[in-house]
Amino acid sequence: MPARTKQSLEKNIPKELVIIRTFQAPRALVFKAWTDPKQIAKWWGPRGFASTVTKWDARPGGSIRLEMCGHGMSHPMGGVFREVVSPERLVFTTTSFEDEKGNPKLENLNTVTFEELNGITEQTLHVVVLKSSPEVAQALAGMNVGWNQTLDRLMEFVLKPA
Amino acid sequence: MTNDHLSATFAALADPTRRSILSRLTNGEVSVKELARPFNMSLPAVSKHLRVLERSGLIVRSRAAQWRPCRLKARPLKEAVDWLEHYRQFWEESFDRLDDYLQEIQRTNKPKKKQTQKNKSIK
Repeated sequence: MPARTKQSLEKNIPKELVIIRTFQAPRALVFKAWTDPKQIAKWWGPRGFASTVTKWDARPGGSIRLEMCGHGMSHPMGGVFREVVSPERLVFTTTSFEDEKGNPKLENLNTVTFEELNGITEQTLHVVVLKSSPEVAQALAGMNVGWNQTLDRLMEFVLKPA
Repeated sequence: MTNDHLSATFAALADPTRRSILSRLTNGEVSVKELARPFNMSLPAVSKHLRVLERSGLIVRSRAAQWRPCRLKARPLKEAVDWLEHYRQFWEESFDRLDDYLQEIQRTNKPKKKQTQKNKSIK
């Protein structure tokens, strides 16, 4: 994108994120870990957070409700499943960082696809940000304690007189 | 798009002279001549580094004055810590945990034939 149009368009461009990971596990197992609420609770959230899953109804139209607790904070999250194609595809929205009225400040559309080759699963997560507000940045930054420390060190290194 | 930005930022930061220039600019505006002084470098050589920093958006140079003072611009550094990157980190860490979990359940779910036999023989 040319730099001159970037500024004006920035607000209208859907923010996207793609994360590809491979797991030494068959696809069915990975898919189960994404669709079973008990298993979600085992891994959902950054390190140092524990998730309590109230609802994780992996069916089209099924709802999501969980709470991530850690570092003295609690983050409720919601969402709705749109597509569930076992064991290859999941589409769901997530809503987080709710204000006092329960309106989310961040809403994302997540598509996860799973492909298996020789017992190894390649998982692709595609996130499209549907809605976000400036406070989200700070809130997310606050969650990534370890990451922030790494960045602090990077900045220190970068700006240290040679 | 974000990645291109980040690449430019980090590429600009990869050079010790450029980091040193940035470090000096944290105290405020400095002219090119002043910037060049501590380095055993010609003005054109310093200018070349400044161009890289300028292109990456890490500094701005005044167009008005002939001596073109340089100023540090924090935005690209902030962009390097863009909230989407924080969100990425959220998922990466979750997936690290998912990976651990998948390994763990595969270990515990595996038929423990060998181990059982071992245990039996010990008994």
